[in-house]
Amino acid sequence: MKKVWIFSTILSITLLQAAQVSPKKLYISECGSCHMAYQPQFLPKRSWLKMMNTLEDHFKTDASLDKDDKKIITSYLVKNSGDSKRVYKEFRKFNSYISKNSTPLRISETYYFKKEHRKIPKRFIYQKEVKSLSNCNACHTKAEKGIYSERTLFIPNYGRWDD
Amino acid sequence: MRRILILAVLSSLYSYAGNMDGYMQKLYNAAKSSDSNFKGFSAKRGEKIFFSKHMGKRGKIISCASCHTDNIKNMGENIFTGKKIKPLSPKANAKRLTNVKNVKKWLRRNFKDVYKREGTPLEKGDVLTFIANQ
Repeated sequence: MKKVWIFSTILSITLLQAAQVSPKKLYISECGSCHMAYQPQFLPKRSWLKMMNTLEDHFKTDASLDKDDKKIITSYLVKNSGDSKRVYKEFRKFNSYISKNSTPLRISETYYFKKEHRKIPKRFIYQKEVKSLSNCNACHTKAEKGIYSERTLFIPNYGRWDD
Repeated sequence: MRRILILAVLSSLYSYAGNMDGYMQKLYNAAKSSDSNFKGFSAKRGEKIFFSKHMGKRGKIISCASCHTDNIKNMGENIFTGKKIKPLSPKANAKRLTNVKNVKKWLRRNFKDVYKREGTPLEKGDVLTFIANQ
């Protein structure tokens, strides 16, 4: 009888661990419940560390997390940050414009982001379907998949954007 | 043998998902210990907590209803980011009030956003009772 209990406890612990979500999924479900879960490649490691250590005052909102979730998400963000080894192409270019002396928290305030959005009229940005530049997927239809190419662009009440 | 095993696995899964009744009981005990006249949670008081307006953390006057709307069976929207919020009422969204970890997290965050402080066990119990009854 005792053996059965020990065995079943071990089995249930294993099952629970298997049922646990991946760090990426946890990031998307936790951070993505208030805004799009921006790809970690957009910011360097130091930015994510600062972000995760100031969640109680996250752009003037309380976004605090439980201790374990915070740990898992921080490690996911750091591992995939813009200055990690896993960054290619557009994201590499994006990061090359971030000064080593700065620790940006808003992606929309980095140089390359601003450069790419400078021609967009304000009325397209502040309309209710978009709200702000933080709302990537309002126009970048495949933003959640990390695709920001021009042909995936569709601005509400305007249409395709040709630079 | 097998039945015991299945039972053990199920019971550990259940406690892992979080037991909402247990959480309500904890809130009840805490409310009782700070006020011996406490008779139980009230949806009416919870409603007041939900709809009363305060200068929020962002410097704007808001209530819980600002994002969750006046009818919590409807979809809500984060007024700052525009992200859609699924209905808060368990009658419209069966997942609500089932995961204690999530419930605690959102109570903590949202009280701080609207009231700029954490809720007391009495307030939390009242507002959860209001939500559950809507």
